[in-house]
Formats: sequence, structure tokens, C-alpha cells
Amino acid sequence: MSEPRLDTPLRERAGHALRDTFLQEALTIATTKFIGLRREAFAEFPDGEALRDRAREIKEATLQRLDHYLERLIDNVEGRGGHVHYATTADEARRIVLDIARRAGARMAVKSKSMATEEIHLNEALAAAGVTPVETDLGEYIIQLAHERPSHIIAPAIHKTKGQVAELFARELGRETEPDPEVLTRIARAELREKFLEADLGITGANFGVAETGTIVLVTNEGNGRMVTSLPRVHVAVMGVEKVIPSMSDLAVFLAILAKSATGQKLSVYTSLVDGPRRPGELEGPEEFHLVLLDNGRIGQLAGPLREALACLRCGACLNVCPVYRQIGGHAYGYTYPGPIGILLTAMLNGPESVKDLAHASSLCGACADACPVRIDIPKMLIELRRDVIERRIAPWPERILFGAFARLLQRPVLYWTAARFGRLLQRPLTRGGVIRRVPLFFGDWTRTRDLPPIAARTFQERWADLEREGGR
Amino acid sequence: MDRATFLARIRAEMGRAEGRAPTQPSARPASPRARLEVLRREMSERWRESLARFTLEFERVGGVLHRVTDAGDVPETIAGIARERGMQRVVTWHADALGLDVATALTARGLQASAAPDTEVDGGERGRRRAVAAAADLGVTGVDLAVAETGTLVVVSGAGRPRSASLLPGCHVAVFDRETLVESLTQAGLVLEAWHDGAPPPWRGASINFITGPSRTADIELTLTRGVHGPREVHAVFVERGVTPRRD
Repeated sequence: MSEPRLDTPLRERAGHALRDTFLQEALTIATTKFIGLRREAFAEFPDGEALRDRAREIKEATLQRLDHYLERLIDNVEGRGGHVHYATTADEARRIVLDIARRAGARMAVKSKSMATEEIHLNEALAAAGVTPVETDLGEYIIQLAHERPSHIIAPAIHKTKGQVAELFARELGRETEPDPEVLTRIARAELREKFLEADLGITGANFGVAETGTIVLVTNEGNGRMVTSLPRVHVAVMGVEKVIPSMSDLAVFLAILAKSATGQKLSVYTSLVDGPRRPGELEGPEEFHLVLLDNGRIGQLAGPLREALACLRCGACLNVCPVYRQIGGHAYGYTYPGPIGILLTAMLNGPESVKDLAHASSLCGACADACPVRIDIPKMLIELRRDVIERRIAPWPERILFGAFARLLQRPVLYWTAARFGRLLQRPLTRGGVIRRVPLFFGDWTRTRDLPPIAARTFQERWADLEREGGR
Repeated sequence: MDRATFLARIRAEMGRAEGRAPTQPSARPASPRARLEVLRREMSERWRESLARFTLEFERVGGVLHRVTDAGDVPETIAGIARERGMQRVVTWHADALGLDVATALTARGLQASAAPDTEVDGGERGRRRAVAAAADLGVTGVDLAVAETGTLVVVSGAGRPRSASLLPGCHVAVFDRETLVESLTQAGLVLEAWHDGAPPPWRGASINFITGPSRTADIELTLTRGVHGPREVHAVFVERGVTPRRD
């Protein structure tokens, strides 16, 4: 059942996805639905466009004084009795969380959906240290039982049928049932309710960290975020440093656009503001609260080419509109973050080498930039990444040679003209009905899934010269 | 890594990123509490419009609104909800936090109702209380803020205000009045500023929750399903003559 991962090239991973007929149908239905819901939500919200601009300005203002806002956040979290930890790498972040788990004597950790903990591969580390991690978002729970990875930022199990989920529950939980989402959800509720009450450790990410108040903000629909932050004795939140925002006034701006962009809801069902550990008089709430501030490649982009990507809210809107994501789904990308923004975040986390193929998994159509609630210019950064991939000479060599030769050709008119004439002769045996369907040797990759337009009988320059001669205006 | 080294790295990278057009975060009110008083006065003149919008949005997200005249009518409404569903066990906020003693009134109506204490209790008692909440069918809470634009109920945790009452039972009933109504998320932002202005009152807990309808998921084939982890049903009881809980 496991999807192809990084040991196979992107082309094969994508091919695998394209041949999966259920996945194709599921992706089309889901992404189309999300696009429609998002459009409706903004259509009846006249302030939306202005708030998107404001949100982006707030993100930029925060990055310009990131040290200041992080210091405010740290001071305020500590002022409420919370502990703050600093992780430069994924490894360091894992060790911090494991250390907290060990001190708490935790045997089980319940988790609310968090891309940051996916990114640092925390579950494997917890399991290896004898702490059972339990994903509690229904979609995440399903893929954890199936030993898979999320295929969409906000709908992680988008690739599974209800039939597959029913089989999975029968196999893993010993609960035979009909493939009815309502019944399956009830089973998951009962299973996970026990875990919430039993777990010693709750682990979350953070949608926002409010500097002026030391508040961690979590947005969920199921209520698992509230469980995880209220029932276990210890709560750990892992937060990328770029998630800090200055104030509650800023939070109101982000809340107004986040859910609308993700699921078309005016607001997600639960927006939970966590102000540290349980206070006297409260019946619930953790005795210990820990905030892990995560760098993992983010700080290096403050002055880097991917800086804009630090404004990302992880809403998933750019995935839904991307013609490439809509065809291949999340797994084919091979890393934690899929879709257009995922390529940039992968480069940020793992270096440009990791996206030498992925940087091209975009048609640069710009739909992602239009959909992005904070208007991140994703195509511009993808082009930059492609340039970087070429300049570092990490592109495959046939591609480097071919495009190098093409570049030289374009710079020399006589050479270009001669090549065009030769090309016209050479293409003759390959052209059928005005298109080239197949070219020989490894160039054949180009025509495997598309036609190559032949070189025109007359070049533009020749036709221009003709027009001038005719004196046509 | 330690704080100083971590922040020093950030400053070094920020230094390389200088020369950008400066932008500003949101303007913050100079004295949020005073600003909130002004807002409350403005809102009190428009509460009918706010309530109409709230009702529309709350029902759109699957909430059920009830209107009663007097605080004394609330227990009968709750008992009615419980009876219709064959529910027996109820947990509620403390009478002071709610503005009325629901537990006694519900017990008199034959339900098994338990109100939260409003003082610190030991770990063993907290564990027992949690088990009661987990076994309850219905949870009764107050409301600290109702946002009309989104149909959202905001509840602040604290002494006598357990988080579990709006989370663990399958059915949540929230009691509110015109005092709590604001129109927009922007206004809610101001309220949050005011709540965090200065030292919190001693009863205030560490959790604020915006609740917009019943718990939901669409994780299996995008089929909308209610009551994943939180309540399947959310009811809001609007008390026309008001309830008077202990607030700031």
C-alpha cells in the first residue's frame, strides 16, 4: 500500500499517480470542491481582498523585526510559566521533544495535526524512544494506521476511499463495519477518546504565536486540538519561527482569511488560544507547557531568495488550484510539503539540490499566486529556483548540454538561422499531419506525453521581411 | 541551543536583509479596556441587528438557537433538549460563572446534573471531575463573546468554567445575552486585546476557545460528518432580559 517515495525519480512517482484511477477522481473532486468553497467564501466577504493585503503587510512587518517579536513571545510565554526551547535543526527539535517526553515519563503522546512535526519526522523518533505517538485528526489517524503520509496539507487522507478506510479499521482495530463515513467516524471517536484521556503528553504545532500576549493559536475543525491542549499533563507546541505575529489585532486579520482560503468556512469550528499551563481553579489544562521554536532552514531565508515563502499560512489553497498537484497529488512530490508552496518549502528545508526535479513540476501558470491568501509570488521563486538549479550544475547533464547549446544558438543569429534550416530538413521524416509525435533517442522523453510542434516552414524574420517588402501595414 | 545564540543568528540574517520598504502591523488600541467600553455601548444600540446576523450564521454552521425571556426559563429549555434526546447526565459551569444555578434546577427536573467547583481542587478530584464530564451527555456553559459575522461562541476557561463542558459531552448548550454580542472578527480582536490588557482577573484560565458550530470533519471522501471529537450538537440559548455572570 505504500506510495513510491524518494528512491524513485519524480517522473515515476508522478506516473504512478497518473495511473491510479481512484486517486485521479478523488483529486479532481476534492480540489474542485475546495476551489468552489473558497471562491464562495470570498465572494460574500467584501473586505477579503483588502485583508489579504493587510495580512501580507503584517507578515512582512513581523519578518523585519523578527528578533523583537520572538523576544516578546518568549518573555510572555515564560511570564505565564511556560518553557521555551530553541531548535536549529530537525534533529535538535526531535531531541528536545524526546527529552520533555522522557522527563514526563510519557508512554503515549496524542497529537493534533501539525505540519511542523511532520517536517521533523517526530513520530518515528517518538516510537523509537518507546513513546507511542497517536495522530488524532481523523485524516491523520487513518494514514497513520495505514503507515502512509499525508497527501494534502488540510485533507491528509484525500487519497483513500471509504472502502479502504473500512478495511483498514477492520484490520488494525478489529472493527468490522460497513464503509459509511458516519459509522467510521464514530469508531474513530471512540478509539481516540480513550487515548485522549490516557495520554501523558499532548503535541501540537501552532498556526500563530501572538508575541504581545504569549498566546499559541490552534485552528481545528474536529476538536482534537482542544483535547490535546487540555487533557494530557504536558503540552508541547512545535512552532516555526515565522509563525509569530505581533498582536491580537493582527490575529483577527489572519483568522478572517485563513479558513476561507482553506475550506471556505468563515471560521474553522475551533480556534483555540492557549495562554500557557493550567491556572489555579481550572479543572483542566496541562501542568507543563513547552514551546519549541523551530528554525530548520527558515532563518537562513530571512535574507534569502525564498524569504516570501516565510509568509505561508499552510492553508492549502495553492495545492487545490495547481494543475500539477491536481494531476499527481501530494505523495508524488515525495516530501512533507506538497504543491507549489511545498516545492519552495522543500528547498528551504532540504536545500535546492532536493528540488532539482520538483522545481520543474509547475506550469508557472500563476494560479497559486492568485489563490494565496497572502499573495506569495510562488512562480517567481520557482523560476529563481530553476536558475539556481542550473547555476549549481545540479540539473541532469543532457538537460544542461541541450539548453546550453540552445542558449548559444539564440545568441547568434546566423547560427540560429542555419540551425533552423537544418532542423527543417531533419524533421521531415518525423512530421505527420503537421506535428511531431515522436523523436528518437533520449530526446524521446520530450514527446512521450505531448507533441512537439515542428519548426515553421518560414521563420518569423523571413515572414517579417516579406511583409516589409509588400509594404503592408 | 540557547536563546541568545538563536536570536543572534536571526539578527545576523536580518542584517543581510535590510533595505526593504518598512511595513506596519495592525494599529493597536492605546487603552483596550476603555476602547472596549465604547464598543460595548455602541453594540448595545445595535444588538437586534447583531442577534439577527448571529442567528443566521450560527444556523448556517449547524447551530440551534433558542430564545427565552428570562434567565429562569433557561433550565426548562435545557431539560427539553435533554428529554428529546433521552439524555440524562449533565455537567455545567459553576452558578456564578453562568449567572444562574442550572444544576439545582435540572436536578429538580429529574436530571443528573453536576456543577463545576469555582475554587482550586486537588489532582484526584480533578481526575474524578474529568471522568464525570467524559461520561456526560450534555454540557452547559456561558458565553463570553458572540461574534455575529461568523456565528461564533467564545468561551474563556477558568475557575468554575471547565473547558470540558463545551468539549467532552455530545451536546453543548451555551447560554448568552445581548451583552456578549459583537458584529465582526475585527471587534473580536479588540476584545482579545482588552482581555490581555494588564493582569488577568484571578478566575481567568489559560484557554480561550472560538466555537463555530458542532465539531466536524470531511476527512473521509469529503463527506461532512459531525461530532468527531467535540460535540455533535451545539445549542445557544439567548436570554432576552440577560444573565448576570461574574465577569471582568
